[in-house]
Amino acid sequence: MTKPVKKKPSNSRFVGAILLVAVVGVAVLGYALSRPRAGVKPVDPSLAAGTAEGYLVGNADAPVQVIEFGDFECPACGQWATLTEPDVRERLINTGLVSFRFYDFPLDMHKNTWPASNAVACAADQGKFLDMHDRVFATQDRWNGEATNNPKKVFLQLAAESGIDTAKWEDCFDSQQHYPRIKANLQEGVRRGIGQTPTFIIGTKMIPGNIPFDEFRKYVDAAAAEAAQAAKATPSKP
Amino acid sequence: MTRRMLVAVLALGGVFLAAYLTLYHYGYVGSLACGTGGCEKVQGSSWANFLGVPVALWGTGYYMSVFAVATAGSLGPWVERRWPSGALVFLNGWGVLFSAYLTWAEVARIHAICRYCVVSAGLVVVLFSLSLLDLRDYRRAPQ
Repeated sequence: MTKPVKKKPSNSRFVGAILLVAVVGVAVLGYALSRPRAGVKPVDPSLAAGTAEGYLVGNADAPVQVIEFGDFECPACGQWATLTEPDVRERLINTGLVSFRFYDFPLDMHKNTWPASNAVACAADQGKFLDMHDRVFATQDRWNGEATNNPKKVFLQLAAESGIDTAKWEDCFDSQQHYPRIKANLQEGVRRGIGQTPTFIIGTKMIPGNIPFDEFRKYVDAAAAEAAQAAKATPSKP
Repeated sequence: MTRRMLVAVLALGGVFLAAYLTLYHYGYVGSLACGTGGCEKVQGSSWANFLGVPVALWGTGYYMSVFAVATAGSLGPWVERRWPSGALVFLNGWGVLFSAYLTWAEVARIHAICRYCVVSAGLVVVLFSLSLLDLRDYRRAPQ
């Protein structure tokens, strides 16, 4: 009986497999790199941007400055606004520790997010920013791109429930007078390298994602400590 | 193809997967998104860095090391040697432990699962299993 001969493995097949994986890998990475980075597009590219201006909640001079870049149609932003933000307002903003600013960051994946930002901006003109902000986030499933092609009907109802002068609000909404500001807020986010919504800037840290209250609090405490240290280091005027 | 060769081919696939995640981490690929996706959440969490270096970059280094050892052990003068098998078991053993730690962090701490990380964890388990079988094949070979 002859001894079975151990077949020498084929080097050419191995080299071929390596080359195949390398070519596919380079092609996939090259494709990913060549795709446009930002998925943000303004409604009207020719629209001139206004001045970026977030909506202020709380005391502007509070020791910790927080900025949120949010999209009204983003479910993660909606979750944060309805589940976490009430605690943040009660325990951090209303106590004077945090100054909070909301900047619109409408993503192109959401069909009705620009009208939503517009609806809130028009409510803010009548001093009802927070009220409308909360209602719009809480009712995403009634006006989002999957629910309707005419979100204005829902926004008008929300405005009426907020006690807003609906005639004035409608004039404002239809004129789209706040679109330059929304675009400016969006551009401010792009300039700061925002990659997703919601994203929070707490003191000197940028934190993306729907973070729970405890984590938010941790960043606020760290920013407050930093601010206190900076104040100590600054020599007081004689 | 020997098991060692298979390890090299799979590890090269891992190099590209980890390189993609590294580019994603630094913002060179991927699109802006609403933060419901697991990968955005995982990559944006504090767990995305280990000892100050992005986990994806650690992964790229790991896969490159496995690829280098497996290729050297398949084509070079070490084809008949056992040490590449031992080195692969060592590297991939660490890979399995690190992947287990990251998967635990995703489930228990971040509460989000990134599909690319799941693919990578599966790949690491396959690489480790193949390395063990390779070591068994070479148990009588000279060091």
